[in-house]
Amino acid sequence: MNIDITIAIIITMVGASTPLLLAALGELVVEKSGVLNLGIEGMMLTGAVVGFAVTFNTGNPWLGIGAAALAGVMVSMLFAVLTLSLASNQVATGLALTIFGTGFSALFGQAYTGKPIALFDSVFPETLTEDRFLRVFFDYSPLVYFSFLMTFLVWWFLQKTRAGLILRAVGENDHSAHSMGYSVTGVRYGAVAFGGAMAGIAGACFPLLLTPQWVEGLTGGRGWIALALVVFAAWRPGRLLAGAYLFGLIATMELYAKAAGGAFRILPSELWASLPYLATIVVLVLISLRRTKNSGAPACLGKPFMPNN
Amino acid sequence: MQFRLEKRAEVSRPMLYLTPVAAVIITMIVGAVIFSLLGFNGAIAVREIFLTPLTNSLKWQDLAVKSAPLIIIGVGLSIGFRANVWNIGAEGQYIAGGLAATGVALITHQMSGWWLLPLMGIAGILGGMAWVAVPAFLRVRLNVNEILTTLMLTYVAVQLLNFLVFGPWKSPFSFGQPQTVMFNDDQILPYIIPGTIVQAGAPIAILVAIFAWIMMGRSIFGFQVKTVGTAPDAARHGGFSNRQTVWITLLIGGGLAGLAGMLEVAGPFTRMVPQFPTNYGFTAIIVAFLGRLHPMGVMLAGLVLAISFVGGEVAQTTIGLPNPAVGLFQAMMLFFILAGDVLVRYRVRRVYHKKATGRDSDKKAGAEAGAS
Repeated sequence: MNIDITIAIIITMVGASTPLLLAALGELVVEKSGVLNLGIEGMMLTGAVVGFAVTFNTGNPWLGIGAAALAGVMVSMLFAVLTLSLASNQVATGLALTIFGTGFSALFGQAYTGKPIALFDSVFPETLTEDRFLRVFFDYSPLVYFSFLMTFLVWWFLQKTRAGLILRAVGENDHSAHSMGYSVTGVRYGAVAFGGAMAGIAGACFPLLLTPQWVEGLTGGRGWIALALVVFAAWRPGRLLAGAYLFGLIATMELYAKAAGGAFRILPSELWASLPYLATIVVLVLISLRRTKNSGAPACLGKPFMPNN
Repeated sequence: MQFRLEKRAEVSRPMLYLTPVAAVIITMIVGAVIFSLLGFNGAIAVREIFLTPLTNSLKWQDLAVKSAPLIIIGVGLSIGFRANVWNIGAEGQYIAGGLAATGVALITHQMSGWWLLPLMGIAGILGGMAWVAVPAFLRVRLNVNEILTTLMLTYVAVQLLNFLVFGPWKSPFSFGQPQTVMFNDDQILPYIIPGTIVQAGAPIAILVAIFAWIMMGRSIFGFQVKTVGTAPDAARHGGFSNRQTVWITLLIGGGLAGLAGMLEVAGPFTRMVPQFPTNYGFTAIIVAFLGRLHPMGVMLAGLVLAISFVGGEVAQTTIGLPNPAVGLFQAMMLFFILAGDVLVRYRVRRVYHKKATGRDSDKKAGAEAGAS
């Protein structure tokens, strides 16, 4: 395979991996605090439509990303109030959030169907981004570097800071954390808000990095794959990075199978399109084969906590 | 003045029945406000969506058609949800059932006889069961989370559908349209009420709900499902197999979703097309919760959601309300029903300001967090 194609594949793969990584990092922090938010897909769609609308109307992708993050936080608060303050079922409420985000984005996206925006491209000078080899390092949107930075920051926060320790304590043993005087509910609100912001930005990646237009349901289940990635990564940010890039590569193969022809042509394109979803199942199976007892899951994951009962 | 939530010893019966009704009413009020803010006439939007389908008798047949698959799938899902089994990929099982029925219809296309439709029905049920068997096996044997596997297989089912209708199953007479041939007369559900579009789906939905009601309320199996869901430890001690419960509840859910798929493809669609997935599988999740996971409740909830679908089409033509608005109404309904759940399991107590000392202040801090 020639070097130009390899570089092109890497660049496409990085683009496909970035939203997965961002959304999964957010969910990782949420789950570390003991909350299971299944609404990633809905928050991503909300972020995507808001990010698109703001970028389209202002021409400024930075504002679009900020608005997407804010929108993600706002819808995640619907989930937080229900599950944390009203102790509703987290699985059902997460699903409700996804259904809500799907409806909301479809409704507000209608006005933007068929309208183009500019891709949120690399901010480096052209000598770097158009160089045959160097572009593999520089021809990326700032969002890509942001996702790397966030991977490090999430790791650092969880492992090296006091606040991160408290968050993990809340997820591992809510009652102990409560009796030590920490507000379990407060910490979880914060974690859910962070997850919402990250999912919102991840959603905005779709119109800003991948397809510069509004398409209904454009996230295509990537939010659910992000959820699986957290399990795959055993709740560790470093492994999350590896997992997201593995899935990015698998998602990219569909595109290159179409372009490459030859041996790839024998298999129907629908099979390539199902590959990320089938791979998710395979990965889940492999994880459970490998780890029988300790998956790394926070002990209180998905359990509601009411302080005075 | 503050409020705190106190766990009830037993679930509140009145709240169990009142909260779904309240959820629908609050959805109508909040919906009216939101759509007024969006520049529509909110009150008229709500009237068109929730009342016109009921007051206009011409729409009743549409309600019967739309509610049937929602009830059939919703009943199946509610049995699983009762046992804490989270099959959220009913949409995929619905597609698989539709495809299996289509497969039988294509093989028997040159044949005729009364037995074709029952055969397609069995194929649909088996198709849905086969699609859910993979997640069931993985959950029981390897403890793989069924939420993700059932959902992932939904995306795969959509791709399988596309592959078949764009490829091997494409009709030679379709002028390039991705669709199968139209089923023959013995493969299409008859209209059961002359002069309407009501087919066999509606009575089957009612039968399914009644049968599930009897099974859940009167049989050991129903008791087993409820015990595994609410008290897994007690169920284990009582000798109820968790694995068996997972298998059976998932197969029921998948089988019923598959049956709904068959009834749709042999009913309104009359052939397989790429537009076959219509989100019934996802909407049925709302139906199951709004119906309080009770077969009779699911029947009513299926009707409510069908009203919103039919009403959404009315509002689209009369006041130009965009179609996705209906999805927003439905999601709001689910949010409100889940929020209402708290009243079933907790009691709201007013807390008056007292001098906070020692343990009391702890409790108060907790109450604040709980009521925030």
